[in-house]
Amino acid sequence: MRASRSWTLARYAGLSVFAIPWIVVPIWLVLVNSFKQAGEAASLDLGLPSVWSFVDNYATVVVQGNYLRALTNSLLVSIPTILAVVLIGAAAAWGFGRSRSKLMQFGYYVIALSILIPPSLIPTIYVLRDLHLDGTTLGYILVLVGTRMGVVVFLATGFVRATPTDIEDAACMDGANRLQIFFLIMLPLLAPVLFVGSVILLITVWGDFFFATFLLPGPTRATLPLALYSFATSSVQSFRWNLVFAHVVLSSLPLVVAYAFIQRRVIGGLTEGALKG
Amino acid sequence: MTSAARYRHEVEVSARAVLGRFVAPPALWFALPAFLFVGVFFVAPLILNVPLSFSNWTTYRTAIVWNGFANFNLLYGQGYLINAIWVTIAYSVIAMLVQNVVSLSLAYALRESTLLNGFFRSLFFLPVLISPLAVGYIWRGILDPAGPLDSFISNFVPGGFHYSWLGNTATALPAVAFVDAWKWIGLTTLVYIAGINSVPRELHEAARIDGASAWQTFWRVTFPLLAPAFTFNVAVTLIGAFSAYDVIQATTGGGPGSSTRSINVLLRIQWGMGNFGTGSALGLIVTVMVVVVAIPLVAYLRRREV
Repeated sequence: MRASRSWTLARYAGLSVFAIPWIVVPIWLVLVNSFKQAGEAASLDLGLPSVWSFVDNYATVVVQGNYLRALTNSLLVSIPTILAVVLIGAAAAWGFGRSRSKLMQFGYYVIALSILIPPSLIPTIYVLRDLHLDGTTLGYILVLVGTRMGVVVFLATGFVRATPTDIEDAACMDGANRLQIFFLIMLPLLAPVLFVGSVILLITVWGDFFFATFLLPGPTRATLPLALYSFATSSVQSFRWNLVFAHVVLSSLPLVVAYAFIQRRVIGGLTEGALKG
Repeated sequence: MTSAARYRHEVEVSARAVLGRFVAPPALWFALPAFLFVGVFFVAPLILNVPLSFSNWTTYRTAIVWNGFANFNLLYGQGYLINAIWVTIAYSVIAMLVQNVVSLSLAYALRESTLLNGFFRSLFFLPVLISPLAVGYIWRGILDPAGPLDSFISNFVPGGFHYSWLGNTATALPAVAFVDAWKWIGLTTLVYIAGINSVPRELHEAARIDGASAWQTFWRVTFPLLAPAFTFNVAVTLIGAFSAYDVIQATTGGGPGSSTRSINVLLRIQWGMGNFGTGSALGLIVTVMVVVVAIPLVAYLRRREV
């Protein structure tokens, strides 16, 4: 007993020692330097600012860094994308989970493959041009829906296959039609797995920079990563560490705050339900 | 079985047989929107990528004409192609190794769901929430000659230590690959925790009773049963890193020289110059690399699963 207690103590001591350079120092570096004046921040040390420049730095980021517009754009991209993927993905997963037809099997494999194979970017722009959607937010959302659906379909199909059909049968006998069964029974049943899928989706869509660079030209449609990049590369002289770090803090804040509220469910969902099937 | 019970049973069986036919959703209709989206925005570009890679499509030409291997020859002749492939492979292997070694260790340390472990799990998950670009800027600060890492090393080195980790060809590539791994470790850790906890406790206890050390128990019992999580994480981290772009763009922009110019960074440069055909060719190379590595890797790792 005594041995196991001292082992636990040693383990937490080790984890804490590891966490300091691994997590605490990077986060602290960003926070503390985002409060400093330009000259002081250039030395990138971990001490407190001698002159606090909190309001100045963050106001500069909001005004010059295109922050509020970028935040709005990021929300306007993420929310419709997640809603569409969850709805379309869950419907498809119900179909895949309950069908044994060869065509459906093939379709399922293609969608599952889209998790592994990276989307072909330049031909995507070609397709968008044909649809007259290139350079628009709608085009970007449609591409995200089409290319990021795989994870949700994969997780939800596994869940449907593991669920017996009894409830659906009972609902059918009670006279429910298929749409009612889907919306009133399947969607609520799938909620936990769709939640996990949405979290993964939100993280990747919110942070997406590669696709956004190609598909969203110009500052009016820029999402947060695009705004951060153009802000960081806009100064001709030197790298403005205090302002770039302030932008990093503001861009990361929405997800970190959201995470603080649903943290238990996220960690629980990912450690329990992620790898079934 | 009484006759009433048997009657009920028979009714249930026949009802289920009839219902089975009707209740099965018209699966195709429900999957149709998904087919449409995936077909137009994933499958069509994937197929189109082949002809476009062998075309002369640029900003300046309206007609897209087949030009054979000209794009590949151009990239190869300039020495860009082999370098980019090599950089991408090295980056992916380093990122995959760092990510899986660290997250497997963390997962083993944090496998039990206690309150304190929950705190540490959340702490190590934090970088996952930060966008890869922002992560790149954070580490550009840490790895700067003036940054905290060199200041720390300076405490032990007479005369101070001011080494530019990202500015030297020897360390830039491993450094950016490490940063990429750092960003995603929280997520792979959770997948490993799920894997470890799906291994029945009795097996672990039986091994300990039979006299196996903690180290032996991990490698002989837990690890082989962890195969599904291991397959998933190795494949996803390796293949994910084939598309390396964001972290590199924020830290080195492909430099110094071309030492961190991955395929996607080169693709972005070609696209910026209006060379869409050449860019497509680079995209095709990433796709082929993923297919060539992913399929045998998944097959091999699956065979190892117990």
